Order: sequence, then structure tokens, then C-alpha cells
Amino acid sequence: MEHFIETIGRNMFAIFGVMALGGAAFMVASRSAVHSVLGFLFAMLCIAGCFLALEAEFLGMAQILVYAGGIVVLFLFVVMLVEMSKKKEKEVFQLQSRYAVVAILLGAVAFLGVFRKVLFGAANPQALGLLRPELAQGLDVAKQNAQAVSRGLFADYLLPFEILSVILLVALVGAVVLAKTERV
Amino acid sequence: MVSLNAVLLISFLLFSIGIIGVLIRRNALVILMCVELMLNAANLNFIAFARHSGSVSGQAFALLVMGFAAAEVAVGLALVVALYRKRDTVQVDDINLLKG
Repeated sequence: MEHFIETIGRNMFAIFGVMALGGAAFMVASRSAVHSVLGFLFAMLCIAGCFLALEAEFLGMAQILVYAGGIVVLFLFVVMLVEMSKKKEKEVFQLQSRYAVVAILLGAVAFLGVFRKVLFGAANPQALGLLRPELAQGLDVAKQNAQAVSRGLFADYLLPFEILSVILLVALVGAVVLAKTERV
Repeated sequence: MVSLNAVLLISFLLFSIGIIGVLIRRNALVILMCVELMLNAANLNFIAFARHSGSVSGQAFALLVMGFAAAEVAVGLALVVALYRKRDTVQVDDINLLKG
């Protein structure tokens, strides 16, 4: 029994990854949009589990908060608002033109070419310290993930962070303008 | 320690499922969800490389991508709602306003 639990602990990433794939496949394949949203929720939670297995604790929790708490609820609201359609969905799936399929296949081949070296190449590189030494001062990087991420973020990525806040503001205003009714 | 190859494989498969969904589904909401799935696959790669290259930059960048995805969902859903008001449908092949 103990051996079994230990095996599960070691393979946590694979378990969560396969479950995420299952959720994603359910999302694409299911006919009803509500079922799709539920598959999406499951996939997002499993990806959060993958983040935790990769020792990115802060990002795993942020994933649960942002996706399961925010985005899925938003999707569900819109599905409830929109899906009571008078016109029923004629066919769920559509076929693409031949050119689109060829282009996608070419893209997949190029992608695999890029990843061939990583997938079948040498063993994993040795992990170094997570932070530059001058930033990691007085910090146990392996245990204090949120602090480490914030030090990296606000030291090296301050400008992208500020730009992102402006983008969020623009998106907020844009969403309000797009979604409001015309006869106010 | 999780091997890098396993993470890359899982994220490649997630990304492929996302692309397939965008290509074959007609519902605009499901297409948006598939785009989100692709962003998450990219995030998974960021975190795996951060883990294996020994730098926290990947995690910081994944956080930025997450915020960007939230902004994208807000605008995308607003577009879908506006389109539904105008055309009474969310099926992408019924939307041909720009076709000459």
C-alpha cells in the first residue's frame, strides 16, 4: 500500500496530464456547450495539478483562481445567455478545405522537427538555482515559490508587467463598450 | 523530478487538441475555449523549461500569459455577445457579414 502511494506521488504529473488530455478531448467532442465548459473546467484543474507537480505552487493556485474561479464562470454565463438559440445547431463539426488541412500538417511536421532534438535528444539538463544570486538573498527558493516568482517578476519583467496592466484596462473598457446595448 | 520530455509531450498533445477544436468546431464559444487550451499548453512549456533551466523567468512569464488570457477572454466573450445580439447565432459559419 505504501509502495502504491509512493508510485502515485512520483507519477503525479503523468496522471494529471493524462486527465487534462481527457478533459480537453471531452471539451472538443461534446455536443452541448455546457458540457464543453465542464470539460474545460476539468482540464484547467488538471493543468493546475501539473503546475503543482512541476513545483510551481504559486502558479498552480493562480491557475485555479483565474481559470476555475473566473474564466469558467464567465464562459458559463455567456453560454446560458446565448445558447437558448431559436436556430438549432445543424451540425456540430465542420470539415476544412484541403489547403487548410495540408497547411496544418506542414505546421505539425515543422513543430515536430523543432522538438525532435528535445524529445529524443540527451537527458535533462541539470537544474541550477532558480534565481540570480543577488536576487535570491535571504530566500529559500525551493520552498518560497511565490516570493521567488515575485522577485524575478519585479526585477526583470517590470515593464511587461506594467504593459499587461494597461492591456487589462483596455480590455476592460473594450469589453464594456462591445457588450453594452445600443438603446441606453 | 519530472522529465522534460513527458511535459513537452503532454503540452504538444494539449496544443494539438486545441488546434483540432478550433478547426472542426462551429460554435464560437467552444473555439474560444480551445484558444485558451492552447495558451495553457504554452504555459505548461514555460513552466517546464523554467524548472529545467533553473530560472524563475519562465514562471514569471507564465503569470503574464495568464493575465493576457484573461483579457482575451473578456474581449472575446463581449464580441460573442454583441454578435449574438446582431445575428442571433454563435455559429461561425453563419457569420459572413464581411463576405462580399
